Amino acid sequence: MDGVRNVDELLAAVDRDDAVAEARAQAETTSRQGLLGLTLAGAGAFVLTRVGGAAAAGVSATDVNILNYALTLEYLQASFYTEAERSGALAGKTAQAARVVGATERAHVAAFLKLLGSKAVKRPTFDFQGTTEQQRAFLKTAVALEDLAVAAYKGQAPKLQSNAVLVAAVGIHSVEARHAAWMRALFGVTPAVNAFDQPASRASVGRIVASTQFIVDKPRMRARNKPKFTG
Amino acid sequence: MKRTTRLTAALAAVTLAGLLSAGLGAGNREPDASDFRALPPAPASALQISRSQRLSSGRYLSRWTVVRAATAAHARPSASSRVVAELAASAPEGTPNLLTFLQARGGADGAVWVEVRLPVLPNGSVGWVQRRSLGPYSTVDTHLVVDRAQLRATLYRAGQGVFSAPVGIGTAAWPTPAGEFAVRSELSRYASPFYGPISFGTTARSAVLTDWPDGGFVGIHGTDEPWLLPGRVSHGCIRLRNRDILRLEALLPIGTPLTIR
Repeated sequence: MDGVRNVDELLAAVDRDDAVAEARAQAETTSRQGLLGLTLAGAGAFVLTRVGGAAAAGVSATDVNILNYALTLEYLQASFYTEAERSGALAGKTAQAARVVGATERAHVAAFLKLLGSKAVKRPTFDFQGTTEQQRAFLKTAVALEDLAVAAYKGQAPKLQSNAVLVAAVGIHSVEARHAAWMRALFGVTPAVNAFDQPASRASVGRIVASTQFIVDKPRMRARNKPKFTG
Repeated sequence: MKRTTRLTAALAAVTLAGLLSAGLGAGNREPDASDFRALPPAPASALQISRSQRLSSGRYLSRWTVVRAATAAHARPSASSRVVAELAASAPEGTPNLLTFLQARGGADGAVWVEVRLPVLPNGSVGWVQRRSLGPYSTVDTHLVVDRAQLRATLYRAGQGVFSAPVGIGTAAWPTPAGEFAVRSELSRYASPFYGPISFGTTARSAVLTDWPDGGFVGIHGTDEPWLLPGRVSHGCIRLRNRDILRLEALLPIGTPLTIR
């Protein structure tokens, strides 16, 4: 297990029928639009380019943009742990970790929403494809998501303009690193491997998230067709 | 250790000490606590991180999903078990085919299987579907109850009644079926006064009007004959006055469990 050292390798290990690799290849050829640096292939794209509306008090447009990017990753994690906890499929220390980490991720989401107000991006629709309903698949995905979050925060921190936002981001970054170590330990992967961690660019994070196909279009349950019900 | 190595190490130590002294001690003095007290405080965080947010009990939550790709529902969580229904990706009304989640389980094949309520006759059928054939999960905390004896529909949110209105239901010859179902679609902007301004599709099916167009699914809709309500007046559908169906439309999320009793 120690051989699995980074997010890409983990996701490759999760890949069934090369679907992830195919999606990633598709994503890499897609035009680079949107806040994550690209339109996500095969899924409902992140609604992340929104910068209009009432400004979050005292936060620059650049920081709002980065905060919304972080919020989307927090949505992803919070939804993942919430669905896993609701599924009831986890047991023992893994179930306990999911409860604690999920509660933390939801607190992050709440904090971002409070700060961003009307400028916050909406929660995407997530389809975790059964990874929340099997313990091993859950842990593998949790490690990937936590490692990804750590690398993403690291990648954006130097770009933040406000020190107050930077303090907040660093505070969350270290918590995500603890989550990553916790999930790695439960999965059987060495928690701390490198002397220095590398940041991940927004484009890179976008490609990886797209490759999971966890973000999907919301099912359209409304239509304009004439009813043919029994009347 | 050779003499040259020891000399090199000693020189390095002296050099390091000098660098530290130059860097930390302005004016060649030893650093003390006052140097650190003079550092400016860190700025306050822009985010107010609240306490961890534990999940609610989920007592009133129910989960639904849609068929992502046409698939078979099985009697057990196994592809080799009996097929109890073939499920299309779309419902007859043109929206995704909604299924109410009951439970998930790992199958002997290592895949995740989900037990769902099936929109097929006989009403009340359930079956197991491979998770990979299903779409995202959604949750609701609402529950719509239609009481055929009282001729009344009541919507609950988190256990609290938030809507109640008189209804028309099926006649004795074409009864509204009893059981556990779901609201699976919302149709609007069609030109049919008979159905009123809004129609909700459900997973309930008439057991007698099986040759009805699209299979005889029961809808919840408005009416152009409000004076008939409340009453046993329909072919199985649940009719509400138009003002009531519009009020319900603002409160009723798709996927809401529907109990007809």
